[in-house]
Amino acid sequence: MSDELQPKLFLLGEKALVLDCAGLSGSSSKLEIQRQIWHIADICRASGDFDDIVPGNNNLTFFFKDSKKIPFWIKQINTLWSNKRPQDKPGKLIQIPVQYGGEYGPDLNAVAEYHKLTAQEVIAIHTSTQYNVLFLGFQPGFPYLDGLDERLFTPRLATPRLSIPAGSVGIGGEQTGIYPTRSPGGWQLIGRSSLALFDATSEHGALLAPGDRVQFVSVLSISEPSISVQVISDLSSPKQPILKPAKASHKESSR
Amino acid sequence: MIEVLTPGLHTTVQDLGRTGYRHIGVPVSGALDRQALILANRLVANPDNAASLELTAGTLELKFHRDAWFSLTGAHYEINIGSREFWHGWRSKINAGETLCLRGPKSGMRAYLAVDGGIDVPICLGSRSTLMTAELGGHQGRVLKVGDRIPLGDKRSLSKPIGAVQRNYSNEVRALPGPEMALFTQESRRVFWSSQWQVSNDSNRMGARLSGETLKLAQEQSLNSHAVMPGTIQVPPSGQPIVLLADGQTTGGYPKIATVIEADLWKLAQTRPGQKLQFIHVSPNQVEDANHEWQQYFYRLQRAIDANSSCLQLITYSL
Repeated sequence: MSDELQPKLFLLGEKALVLDCAGLSGSSSKLEIQRQIWHIADICRASGDFDDIVPGNNNLTFFFKDSKKIPFWIKQINTLWSNKRPQDKPGKLIQIPVQYGGEYGPDLNAVAEYHKLTAQEVIAIHTSTQYNVLFLGFQPGFPYLDGLDERLFTPRLATPRLSIPAGSVGIGGEQTGIYPTRSPGGWQLIGRSSLALFDATSEHGALLAPGDRVQFVSVLSISEPSISVQVISDLSSPKQPILKPAKASHKESSR
Repeated sequence: MIEVLTPGLHTTVQDLGRTGYRHIGVPVSGALDRQALILANRLVANPDNAASLELTAGTLELKFHRDAWFSLTGAHYEINIGSREFWHGWRSKINAGETLCLRGPKSGMRAYLAVDGGIDVPICLGSRSTLMTAELGGHQGRVLKVGDRIPLGDKRSLSKPIGAVQRNYSNEVRALPGPEMALFTQESRRVFWSSQWQVSNDSNRMGARLSGETLKLAQEQSLNSHAVMPGTIQVPPSGQPIVLLADGQTTGGYPKIATVIEADLWKLAQTRPGQKLQFIHVSPNQVEDANHEWQQYFYRLQRAIDANSSCLQLITYSL
């Protein structure tokens, strides 16, 4: 009955390889496994052998330029996995102002009723967590956030909305997140941010990256010009305040 | 510059797509029938990755504001300039001030109009391809409309018309088994390979939705979200498979029963809603052979184009 410590590696189509850590038992938490995945992705990106390397939820897919390199990398990736776990990746902590309820959060009251909470309690729980960005996918810049309090797990709408405005903050099942672009969707909408998660004209495209942490901050109105996203990127110093007052550091604002 | 007098039903600017942005959630995008785009580009001496127009259906009228050589490949359209008719799969000349009229398609689903010098819209995330879902790239991130003025690159010095016979369409689509193939019932696996799948009306550049017998998992299973790609055949709870195409999302959570090989993805682009296709189980060696066939096709095409002397020449290679 030994722990299964080595992840599975298998092919996807003719030119992609998947490192799958689902069901990997042992002493590592899901987040620790995800950190190892980000770490391996960063190392392998430095090689010119890949068109792209895409993290998923406890898995990592390598898109090869040339399938002949796959056998070499199977050995490499196994070795990388066996190496010692990385230190915490120094990601950004990003505070995102959200206007909860009202026309921006049409499902806030329904979510509260579902859990027999007040709307204020839902907001308090939703803003009390630092969510980990596990990976980006589904839409440009869409972050898969880990860490929703289980008191807020809420089923998706029976009938998805045809169009949800960009910046909408919602809960779907065990996940919470922000819609980066206008799209259809079945999540319960509890608020909205004025944040641009994705900007095709910027160098990196996406505001968030795997390893970043997100905290929502409740504000009365996201249309106030003083409201902006706080990017707090220096986590190396323990004296760095994690939460800054909303108007403190406009120079660090992202966009 | 090209002025759009009549835009067609879903005409977009496409090149060979974006590389290296999947990890931030941006699909590869680009031409659905990559080989038809490359052929169109080679005929007008463009680089393979030059942007062209991807035509889906309807009538187009395009007024050219400079002399140009153009070629149309992929789905079969009637091509007219005034009362003159032109051949599909050939490069032909149009003079400044003339209007190119395209009607179709008579067969196939997507055609590629290349113009010497290429379509010169701004590059967005490494590509000129239109990604409708994110409203980026191409001409203002959208399909063409009446009155649009589409910029062209520098014209090339070409002289005579040349043409190529295109590969033959078949509805047999070769595929490799997917990672979750074994999770399906034995009967569903048999049905997947042996039955005909009808392309449904709600198919688009994100995916070809297929209808047929219901595919069932041996037991309910929930998968973590993972990367998917063009060619991935995923099976949602409805049991009706979806073949993801160039604009498909970058990650998904449905079981992947198979993957269409790259050499045959163009067949998905050319199958119309209502038509049926069948998947053919191939081995990795057969995939290599299929890729090799395409390399040969383009190698011989290029040799013929390069060797072309003074007279009209029909290049008679097809797959």
